[in-house]
Amino acid sequence: MGVEEGVYKAKTGLPLWMLGLGADLLWADMNRLLGFLFHQGVLDEQFLQLQQLQDDTSPNFVSEVVNIYFHESEKLLRNLRALLMEREFSDYKKMGSHLNQFMGSSSSIGAKRVRNVCVAFRAATEHNNRAGCLRALEMLEHEYCYLKNKLHELFQIEQQRALAAGVRYPAPVQN
Amino acid sequence: MAPAAPDFPVGLRVLVVDDDATTLKIIEQMSLRCRYRVTTCTEATVALNLLRERKGCFDVVLSDVHMPDMDGYKLLEHVGLEMDLPVIMMSADSTTSAVMKGIRHGACDYLIKPIREEELRNIWQHVVRKIWNENKEHDHSGSMEDSDRNKRGNDDAEYTSSVADVAEVVKPPKKRSSLKEEDIELESDDPTTSKKPRVVWSVELHQQFVSAVNQLGLDKAVPKRILELMNVPGLTRENVASHLQKFRLYLKRLSGVAQQQNGMLNAVPGTIESKLGATGRFDIQALAAAGHVPPETLAALHAELLGLPATNIMSPLDQTTLLQASIQGLKHSHAEHTVAYGQPLVKCASNIGKNFPPSILTVNGTSSGYGGWPSPNNTIGSVRPNNSVERVGIQNNNMLMDILEHQQRQLPHQKQQQQMQQHQQKQLQHLPRQSLINDQSCSINVQPSCLVVPSQSTDTFLAVNSPASVNQDCSFGRNAIIDYSLLPQKSNNSFCASQFPGGDTKARGVIYRYTTSSNCLTGSSNGNQLQNSTLTFGAARPLPSLLPMSGRQDPYGFKLGDSLDQACVKNLGFVGKGTCIPSRYMENEIESSVSEFSQMKVNVDSTGDTLKGEPNFINIPKVSHPIIERYPSRGHSSIFTE
Repeated sequence: MGVEEGVYKAKTGLPLWMLGLGADLLWADMNRLLGFLFHQGVLDEQFLQLQQLQDDTSPNFVSEVVNIYFHESEKLLRNLRALLMEREFSDYKKMGSHLNQFMGSSSSIGAKRVRNVCVAFRAATEHNNRAGCLRALEMLEHEYCYLKNKLHELFQIEQQRALAAGVRYPAPVQN
Repeated sequence: MAPAAPDFPVGLRVLVVDDDATTLKIIEQMSLRCRYRVTTCTEATVALNLLRERKGCFDVVLSDVHMPDMDGYKLLEHVGLEMDLPVIMMSADSTTSAVMKGIRHGACDYLIKPIREEELRNIWQHVVRKIWNENKEHDHSGSMEDSDRNKRGNDDAEYTSSVADVAEVVKPPKKRSSLKEEDIELESDDPTTSKKPRVVWSVELHQQFVSAVNQLGLDKAVPKRILELMNVPGLTRENVASHLQKFRLYLKRLSGVAQQQNGMLNAVPGTIESKLGATGRFDIQALAAAGHVPPETLAALHAELLGLPATNIMSPLDQTTLLQASIQGLKHSHAEHTVAYGQPLVKCASNIGKNFPPSILTVNGTSSGYGGWPSPNNTIGSVRPNNSVERVGIQNNNMLMDILEHQQRQLPHQKQQQQMQQHQQKQLQHLPRQSLINDQSCSINVQPSCLVVPSQSTDTFLAVNSPASVNQDCSFGRNAIIDYSLLPQKSNNSFCASQFPGGDTKARGVIYRYTTSSNCLTGSSNGNQLQNSTLTFGAARPLPSLLPMSGRQDPYGFKLGDSLDQACVKNLGFVGKGTCIPSRYMENEIESSVSEFSQMKVNVDSTGDTLKGEPNFINIPKVSHPIIERYPSRGHSSIFTE
């Protein structure tokens, strides 16, 4: 990298940020954050699949999908909470089907921890375990918020990177 | 002959149904990456309407299981009944029961979320399989037609369009007309269009229905009586009546298939022969000819069972022919089972009622040998050896049975096996005359044994050996596959089991276990292999095949009647541990065993060398060996020259 910088500098005489070097730093930031999320088990390799699906024909694919996911998930979370708060008799079956969907979408974007909580939640609904459901719901909301924050962070960095690179959302290249 | 346009899966028309927008979006993108033409839909009812309105506009349906407006299983049933498209279920729910339910309802595959691009890339196989099946159902002449169709596929700029064509052509008119009724009926079933309580014909319910029909006899089964027998509250006579109607149609279709198979057998041999000359090719044709298919739902099930194995099989095979024939290769697996359940049964009924009982395998073999099938059939080398073996099995059933039982108990012990072998050899010697017919074909099959067992002496045999060995070298897995597929075409000569040292045996082992009864022949060599099969067994899902199929197989049951029953009884004795399978179920088991077989094959491929070294495999060759010697040699040469 250092060598290349030198070469570019020598050749063009342009400031670094114009050469996309700032983007490199942001790229590193992104990777660090991703690595962190992977390490924590927040994300899994399915998220990488998602990134690989992003290409020139759909430069915003990942963020589009994730935004859909956020939208749907919030709806589901609202529904789940409403169902659980419904007097004493909650419709566990319906909760189960919500959770199935939540599991499906979470696993599709690689939100591993959210998915795991969903599994636990669903198990609780299967046993009509109200207390367990409530606990699971709280965990789920917590996990979801965490994921959302982190992914927002990630997208912000990526956006900056794209700007810095002077390229409009290039496909993240795994070097 | 390339099976399809080089870019075949491109343009595959996929309908994706999922209430989850996230998943839908991802799958859409993945499909685009695969260059499929994808349509997405968030509601099952909308999807169903779409499918109805635009019949023939989709090749495959990918459906979520849990959807608020309509259960994915329900959608699956509708699609299966109305348009007979391959449906792939997907869900985050990976519990066995959920997957099982999907299989029962006729899903040809069950993908667990998250769906990966690789999985999506591979779904075209279900389309091809389905079309093959339908084609088989429709045309009698097998290979020729198929190759025709393939050519068309090549010529067409877009394979998909040709796919559609084929589908159009293939659909029997009678089905069309029956479709209308079903449409109406289903429409009223549809929760959105009607308020009246609908009857969901769950698998369990259907099972009850089928058993009631069986109890009454198909001819005497009237809705009222069935209703009484079923004794299900809330079920009305009308419900039963309409279901009975569907069921009859279904049976009719089935029986049509069976007959066609019969016809096919006669028609095929010639082509196969010629193909044999070029060893590489012949699998393809076998496929073409063989690929007859059972009822669609069954097909779906098979596909499900076979899906994995099939791919596995293919991957190890690098040979060019195989590559070209990849699609066909997939089909192979189909052919295998088809053969297993379809043809043998039919033939049995006509030719050899008594022989059948010992085992399915035997049946196959017998039909060729006893039935006095034209020698051309025999020409296929691979098949032969088996036949002889099988025959032996039949003749010696009683003796073998005892032995087998022994073996089952003490599989690990080689002594037993040796005893077995000795027995078998003796028995085999009795057989020679019968086997004479077979001789011609021996060559290919024999080879494996030859390789293993140096001692064999026959002159002709030696000559044969070299070619045979070549074949084997080419690809272990493939040969095995080929054999199976050949069977059907040839007239079901034999299960072909013995040829491949590793693969076949294993296959038998599996079968053996499932059916338990059947394979006398196998039994001898199997002992050791059984262990292998056991492993696989675990992996395989025995249940699904049993449950779902029962209804469907009845047609066969009717036809076969007594002979099958006898078979069952005998089998039971053999099996002991096995699931005793009523004759009806035999088909299923075979299928499952086939699938396992393919899985096993993978093992074989990887471990091939080591395995050969083991005593088990050696045994096999010996078994086949005696048989070989008996055969006149002339057959080989003729085969190859051709």
